[in-house]
Amino acid sequence: MKAFSNYHPAVEAVYFISVLLFAMFVQNPVIELSALVGGILFCCVILKSSEAAGNIGFYVPMFFLTAITNPLFSHNGVTPLFFLNGNPVTLEAFVCGIFTAVMVIAVMLWFRCYSEIMTSDKFLYLFGRTMPKLSLVLSMTLRFIPMFKRQMHRVSRAQKTMGLYSSKSFLDRIKSALRVFSAMIAWSIENSMETSASMKARGYGLKGRTNFSMFRFYAEDIILLSVCTVLSGITVSGIFMGKTTFYYYPKITELNLSLYSIFVYTAFCILSFLPFIIEVKERIKWKYYISKI
Amino acid sequence: MKKDILAVFAIILIVAVIINGTEIQSVDEYYLTHIDDITPESETVFISIRCDTILENYDELDENLRSEEFVPPDGVILPTTEYVLREGDTVFDILDRAVRYNKIQMEYQGIKQNSFGSVYIQGINYLYEFSCGPLSGWMYRVDGEFPNYGCSKYVLHDGQNIEWIYTCDLGNDVGAEWISNMGGQQK
Repeated sequence: MKAFSNYHPAVEAVYFISVLLFAMFVQNPVIELSALVGGILFCCVILKSSEAAGNIGFYVPMFFLTAITNPLFSHNGVTPLFFLNGNPVTLEAFVCGIFTAVMVIAVMLWFRCYSEIMTSDKFLYLFGRTMPKLSLVLSMTLRFIPMFKRQMHRVSRAQKTMGLYSSKSFLDRIKSALRVFSAMIAWSIENSMETSASMKARGYGLKGRTNFSMFRFYAEDIILLSVCTVLSGITVSGIFMGKTTFYYYPKITELNLSLYSIFVYTAFCILSFLPFIIEVKERIKWKYYISKI
Repeated sequence: MKKDILAVFAIILIVAVIINGTEIQSVDEYYLTHIDDITPESETVFISIRCDTILENYDELDENLRSEEFVPPDGVILPTTEYVLREGDTVFDILDRAVRYNKIQMEYQGIKQNSFGSVYIQGINYLYEFSCGPLSGWMYRVDGEFPNYGCSKYVLHDGQNIEWIYTCDLGNDVGAEWISNMGGQQK
């Protein structure tokens, strides 16, 4: 089902690192928007539809919260809309807030995809040999939140059978949630202790210990790696030539629409849509083969 | 259910306090300032706002500010102007009135927001602290001297001359001597 996760872990790591770095550090609306759209499309093809629906309820309020918070604290900008307690609330701050929200959501979505594709075995395969302690800590941290959610669901179900959440009162529900949460804290501390103890018992990080893995470098990996490198190279060249420079304060600069900057935007757009294209291509292939049977 | 009503009540109370504490003004309302007419018997002060040091350190200025709109070619944001002094006016009061009257953008940190118990001017005309190097910011001078305290603590007298000056080197480039004696403490 997941064509992109069949690539070599090193190629996937290079891809995710480059997209995340551009999405995080390039302050340009076109780059941020294409990272967001790419992230949404990628999430749509690899996540279950029930999970995707639940995510919208989280990301949409988050988007508006981030967008509205910025103008309340940043008063720079040449076009004041109105004055709040003697401080201007400006159009520039609103626009900056919106694109900051786009960036934050895009990065969160890309990390969501990352945790789906780069499972801890891949991560440990890449970095387990060179830095065993750090990579174990990192992989434990990265899988912590999904695991925490799952366990929380389990605990709350168990508590429900004991009569918690029976009251309809909002305050009582918060109290019950707090009780579940305190149980979760104790559990997560215990769990991390257990994990490290069991890894130690298996001799993790000792000299002469080998890892079994099934990853091999195929021709497709080389193709994806070179495409990814070329597209990132074009984007980096655009950044260093100042083609993507964009300022929100004090006056929103006009978007650079020279031929080269459009070239850079297209390159980054393809880069962020790459996994989506791969997934869709794989599905079409699958449907085509099935139709021939 | 009784508890819920209490919670709703508490939320309404908080929202009411927040709404009570905010004041929304339209742009015109904000800039509508009353300037007293100068009569022979009124007390007056002079105020000017300049940023000459930026022109000397233009390569250190943030790229997004490198335009004549934000840094005037002669460095004068507000030429020396005479304003009527009201009873108990501080340097900040005069500055606030002058920038509102001339529609110059200004952002400041209020008395409650910093530990010095005085207003701190963060930026005038989109030129903020740290906009032109790490040692840059706004300073004020009254009759040629740099007071060592905030502008909302300086009560003015008749005929005094206020100058707001942008410094790119903690005041050393505009002649604030006490700073080098104090070992670089900010105003």
